[in-house]
Amino acid sequence: MLVVALVAVVACAVRAIGFTPIEAVQGPAQKIFYIHVPAAWCAFLAFGLVGICSGLYLWLGDRRLDLFSEASVEVGVLLTAMVLVSGPLWGKPVWGAWWQWEPRLTSTLFLFFLMVGYLSLRSAVLEPELRARYSAVVGILGALLVPFIHMTVYMFRTIHPKPVVLKPDGPTASSEMLVTLLASFAAWTFFYVALVTTRYALGRVAAARDA
Amino acid sequence: MPDGPPQNAGYMIAAYAIIGVVMGGYALRLILRVGRAVGRGTGA
Amino acid sequence: MLSAALTLAAKDLRAELRSRSALMSALLLACLVLFVLYFARDPTAVAPALVAPGALWVTAAFAATTALNRAFQHEKEHGAIDGLLLAPIAREAIFLGKYLANVAFTLAIELLAVPLVVLFFNVDFGPVLGGMALLLPLTTLGFAAVGTVFGAITARAKHAELLLPTLVMPFLVIPVVVGVQVTGRLLGGQTLAEVAGWLRLLCVYDVIFIVLCLLVFPVVVRD
Repeated sequence: MLVVALVAVVACAVRAIGFTPIEAVQGPAQKIFYIHVPAAWCAFLAFGLVGICSGLYLWLGDRRLDLFSEASVEVGVLLTAMVLVSGPLWGKPVWGAWWQWEPRLTSTLFLFFLMVGYLSLRSAVLEPELRARYSAVVGILGALLVPFIHMTVYMFRTIHPKPVVLKPDGPTASSEMLVTLLASFAAWTFFYVALVTTRYALGRVAAARDA
Repeated sequence: MPDGPPQNAGYMIAAYAIIGVVMGGYALRLILRVGRAVGRGTGA
Repeated sequence: MLSAALTLAAKDLRAELRSRSALMSALLLACLVLFVLYFARDPTAVAPALVAPGALWVTAAFAATTALNRAFQHEKEHGAIDGLLLAPIAREAIFLGKYLANVAFTLAIELLAVPLVVLFFNVDFGPVLGGMALLLPLTTLGFAAVGTVFGAITARAKHAELLLPTLVMPFLVIPVVVGVQVTGRLLGGQTLAEVAGWLRLLCVYDVIFIVLCLLVFPVVVRD
């Protein structure tokens, strides 16, 4: 499944670069958006699922939920890193600045810190049951924190309005761009699912081996 | 028509390249690990 | 249960007062932070009053982290937490006790930091004392809750001194940002009504996370 997903993502990338029109005002750099946005959606999805699974784990105690969370965070941290890398690479040519403290980017940055913290904790606790419990606690607290971060930055920004050079989503979306974007969303979500299921399977094998 | 879109393809290539290498690399790594795990399971 | 919690908190604080090591280091850190922040800006361009809220809250954040490190350090070193768990006290009481001790310690540092800020940055907190009296506890209650739970978690983990700040940092950000915003605005002349939105956000944050931490703590110290 993973191989198929990989092909799908590559196909989208090719389409994005080759066949979608170059956006008039932002230039080719705008095409970063076709990866950046779906990746961001997947990253938040990843952590949202971790939050839910963490809560469920604390309630039900099923180890598989913990293994899923582990897989999702590992994949998620990479996705988040990609969002944080592609963001400035898009922002610099388009906004003129590498970084803006606006709600979405800031939430993503903190999502990254939360995920890194989660993974650090996992590597610091060796006993599996303890590790699962602690991770679940961090997972659920972290997932709940993200909306607060978003709100806080939003409040901060609306009170200090900064001149926005360009709406990050681009002015109008031609139908071709829309298709590419939607296809990219689908491809990346599929990619996320494939990565997590693969990683989860590996996790289960490892857990069975250690048992 | 005024001067066309800005010439910033370099950023795009950099972004796609980084993402491609990292995500592709991770995917390949997972695939290889699965291959090894399956091999260990069915092999001697 | 409340009396058990208070006894626990009192024991923690008494131990701290006796050794005074964490208190001293937190105070020294506070002075250092304030000093650096004062001199880090361009004196002609940035008025000290603008930096003061940030300085105060960075100090508070450091104080909180010190408090948290200290709190579970004792337990780790002397294995005292096992003794606590064997005693017939409800887990929630243990949480409350540790939590209250953390809050008290952090508040103490903050209260000492305020006059330092007044001194170094030449700011007048007089007219805004009411607002600050509301703000300081609200923020401290918020970050101490998550910190207490994470302190318990990292006590059993490797590299606790590094792991605890890593885990806690995102959770400190909200109260600190709100703290800085509200302090800055109050000092700038706004009324409490005008900063109500920020205070409301903080209250919601506090309620949600304190309740959650209270519920989750027994899970952490189970077994």
